[in-house]
Amino acid sequence: MKFDAEAFIREQVGLIRNAVPGRAIIACSGGVDSTTAAVLAGRALGDRLLAVYVDTGLMRKDETADVERTLQALGVNHRILRAADEFFAALRGVSDPEKKRTIIGRKFIELFEPEATTFGAEHLVQGTIAPDWIESGGQLRDRIKTHHNVAGLPADMKLKLVEPLRDLYKDEVRAVARALGVRVAERQPFPGPALAVRVIGEVTPERVALVREASAIVEDEVQAAASRGLMPLPWQYFAVLVPVQTVGVHGDLRVYGHTVAVRAVESIDGMSATYSKIPHDVLDRISTRITNEVPGVNRVVYDISNKPPATIEWE
Amino acid sequence: MRVFVVDNGGQWTHREWRVLKYLGVETKIVPNDTPVGGLQDLDGLVLSGGAPRVGVDPSKMGRNGEYLDAFGGPILGICAGHQFMAKHFGGEAAPAKVPEFGKSLLNVREPDVLFEGLPDRFEVWESHNDEVTVLPPGFVGLASSPNCSVQAMRHRSEPIFGLQFHPEVEHTQFGGEIFRNFLKVCENPR
Repeated sequence: MKFDAEAFIREQVGLIRNAVPGRAIIACSGGVDSTTAAVLAGRALGDRLLAVYVDTGLMRKDETADVERTLQALGVNHRILRAADEFFAALRGVSDPEKKRTIIGRKFIELFEPEATTFGAEHLVQGTIAPDWIESGGQLRDRIKTHHNVAGLPADMKLKLVEPLRDLYKDEVRAVARALGVRVAERQPFPGPALAVRVIGEVTPERVALVREASAIVEDEVQAAASRGLMPLPWQYFAVLVPVQTVGVHGDLRVYGHTVAVRAVESIDGMSATYSKIPHDVLDRISTRITNEVPGVNRVVYDISNKPPATIEWE
Repeated sequence: MRVFVVDNGGQWTHREWRVLKYLGVETKIVPNDTPVGGLQDLDGLVLSGGAPRVGVDPSKMGRNGEYLDAFGGPILGICAGHQFMAKHFGGEAAPAKVPEFGKSLLNVREPDVLFEGLPDRFEVWESHNDEVTVLPPGFVGLASSPNCSVQAMRHRSEPIFGLQFHPEVEHTQFGGEIFRNFLKVCENPR
């Protein structure tokens, strides 16, 4: 038996209508899960739905502009909140990955609640998928990491949750997205806490800018190599800023610079993964470009860990 | 056909549910303190893996012992479910000398319905700190990996199976086939 996206859509539209008698807001990052949930909820609720996107200052290069286009194309009510300063202020001095995730989860809700009140919504729709609640743990299940949309929600949150994609994995969400004609159906996964969990250690605007540039180069080179047939497009591919400084030599001068790790994996559902066997020529181009184009980085390493024992993201 | 999954707190419990669903089985995840009376009219039961350390503290395994004694139908124990099964029936589970995480190679040593139609060696995905160190009486070892001698076992005459590796994980080769073979047993338990 295959996953039946059409039947799933019919069922969920009915369930969302039953769950939400009034109005709802949806937290939409522009990624596959939340955008798919937004379209599903839009079908069920029409004008009774408001999609809210937060520019946290932690998004990838040109991402906010791209999400605005996605939201416009969806044809649902939407609002874009600019809150970069608030997020950086809340994250100042924090380097523990679980604290980062919890702070970000709480910040999101602090921003959503007034929006919901203004719109007259009692429900919050989220694009939570199976790995989010599985990895967030609870009772017998160990917490692997705090997914901001599950274990990162404040205990006193008043909004009632609606999560139509809870039992799906990414491959199934993509099938639903394709059936709904969502333009970001094939986009690579991107974590809710965004680049905050790709800057190991303290999250500052400078360090986020650095990993943003490095990630753009990884995406650029990997996509170019895949389109030239040099390699399959990995499930996910990105850069991580590692809090390790090492020695280099630039124009006969000693430098003591940052290290960037490149991560690329193959997976179906995000619950197990193997590192991508990227051709060395492609790794070489990525390395040369990052160390030449991103100021302060003089070393690039490639992460060759599978999941388990590692996870896909570093935090 | 109805086969439920007992949730022992595994990262891949929901994957077991998904694989069964894709195989056309009516399935549901149930907590491991569900009374055995609540598991009537089922054709089989999967005991999931989980965070509890069976080799150290089996007390978090709820009513798994009752299921093994009183369920009456085919049972497939996976990882912690498999280790608990060994301990419950008089074998031993203990911290593994070499815990396995991620890719490993399965070596099938005894032909069995569970591995019917599959090669003798294939890649499987692991994630365990403990392992079965002594087979329980009445059980036979079916497969091993380079770092773990009991990767699969079964009761000699009852349809009770244990697997240390994770057939429900996408990266395990022939995982779906192993579940399909277990479902064949569920269809015809004797």
